[in-house]
Amino acid sequence: MEFHLINHPLDCPVCDQAGECWLQIYYMKHGLYEPRMTDDKVHKPKAVPLGPHVILDAERCILCSRCVRFCDEVTRTGELGIFGRGDRSEIGLFPGTELANKYSGNVVDICPVGALTDRDFRFQVRVWYLESQKSICPGCARGCNIEVHVNRRRPHHAQGRRVVRLKPRFNDAVNKWWICDEGRYGYGFVDDPSRLTAPLRRVGGKTLDVSWTEMFTLVADGLRRYTADEIGVIASPKMSNEDLFLLERLVDGLGVRAVDYRVPPAQPGDQDDFLIRADRNPNSRGAELIGLGRSDARAILNAARDRRIKCLWVFHHDLLASAWPEGEVLDALLGAETVIFQGTNANATSAHAHLTLPAAAYPEREGTYTNFEGRVQRFRQAFEPLGQALADWESLGCLLQAVQGAGRPSRAEECFRALAAAVPAYAGLSYRSIGDGGQMIATGSP
Amino acid sequence: MPVEFTREQLGEVTRLQRLYPDRGGALLPVLHLAQEVFGYISEDVEKYVGTLFDLGPAHVHEVVTFYTMYFRRPRGRHVLSVCHNLSCHLMGAQEIIAHLTSRLGIELGETTDDGRITLLTVECLCACEMAPMLQVDDRYEGHLTVEKVERLVDRLA
Repeated sequence: MEFHLINHPLDCPVCDQAGECWLQIYYMKHGLYEPRMTDDKVHKPKAVPLGPHVILDAERCILCSRCVRFCDEVTRTGELGIFGRGDRSEIGLFPGTELANKYSGNVVDICPVGALTDRDFRFQVRVWYLESQKSICPGCARGCNIEVHVNRRRPHHAQGRRVVRLKPRFNDAVNKWWICDEGRYGYGFVDDPSRLTAPLRRVGGKTLDVSWTEMFTLVADGLRRYTADEIGVIASPKMSNEDLFLLERLVDGLGVRAVDYRVPPAQPGDQDDFLIRADRNPNSRGAELIGLGRSDARAILNAARDRRIKCLWVFHHDLLASAWPEGEVLDALLGAETVIFQGTNANATSAHAHLTLPAAAYPEREGTYTNFEGRVQRFRQAFEPLGQALADWESLGCLLQAVQGAGRPSRAEECFRALAAAVPAYAGLSYRSIGDGGQMIATGSP
Repeated sequence: MPVEFTREQLGEVTRLQRLYPDRGGALLPVLHLAQEVFGYISEDVEKYVGTLFDLGPAHVHEVVTFYTMYFRRPRGRHVLSVCHNLSCHLMGAQEIIAHLTSRLGIELGETTDDGRITLLTVECLCACEMAPMLQVDDRYEGHLTVEKVERLVDRLA
């Protein structure tokens, strides 16, 4: 203990790791002595950016070499090393290189002290003010288990963001201890100014705030005004199983056949043999199993261009940022008499909507995703939705009630129970059986 | 000069690698060979040696920075390593070192402008019986006096 602290700076008050530092914890538990060291401490480089996400303070390093081993054994990129020897040893990069692999943020998690800290989280908020909730990364079809760290107690810090960081949560079957950087830093949309916070109606050139009650009536009336063949629905693989199941019930009741969830991204996602999947959606498998892929999204858009589909209902996607020609998509959006957009954030597509339904983002609600392997995993609510946003299953439940007079579920779990009873792949699954580690869909499912 | 071994040198690398159960054990002798061939271990040499062992340059850099006998900057044609450990110190090593620095006009760890001599101090070279002593290239010189050092330096080309 004392040897470790000989050259360790006593800068806990300004160190980001304070509060979750193993050296600090062990010192409080086993140390608590008066320092006997009278010599000057050895000085080393401080605040050295190693790459886009990680910053190094070599003085705080206790030379455990976990980060070196991570780069050797997990990512197999070998960027980091321990240079020099004795009390002058320090962690570093080969001159002229940077720590820029796709999983670099993990070295911050495994660093027991404040030597490697997160450039994104640095100086944002003290860790002891944070609350944590179990969640699932929505960044790709892997569905890495994560913790959402929420700053509610210091709203004047971190620019008022509620989500201040994501941390991996151990799941041996999915992501082990790791997550990729794209997922780790992909939470920005949750507290982005582009969030939709109230139901909106666009009449002529004007956008009006309407209440949810009015909105449900408007959407229900709109859906009734058209025949089943005049309605096209583009669901989203970013929606949870619960959302998708209620949507399926709604479109099934209306007899709508033009339903799909597949919209190709402008840039195809890269994939590796570790965690990252090319499909950047968390629930494509769920959408497929629940049966939302009965048509073809591009055919739906073409039908809207030809005025055969008059009511176009788009969930979450920005169709104008997809791989499809912008002109074609624009013609479809302008061609439809009624465009309904439901999503968390405004985008180029939502700008063309006549009716806009604000949706809760994943930390604001609970639900389940089915990952590409068929593992159903729960994410939980970390905080309240922004403004009047509702989870998709809530708004779809209200619409089911308005359109079909069905009973309205009051909890996501109710939706899942109905899903498990109706879709064979989910038979026997429940929130309880899924637990924290997830559960595979019934064997023999597609 | 391109950083690459000749065929014969590569043969030596293979021979060295076969001496060890894990060929990585040959990293130190191969680095010495590289230092002999290329003069010193530059970053380019580290990268090149890494490719001979399927090692990232960072790991070669770890080894090179750990040991003191790898030169990471160009060295002089001759290296004088003066012992300043206990026995040599008692027998006047400081006087020898002071004379050498003023005579050559360089500090410890530096190389003369003409690239002739690099001056270093080292800990015990296991030759206390000839203290004070120094190593010049591969040779030991003991029972040093200022005059003897003067003659020694003059003889170095």
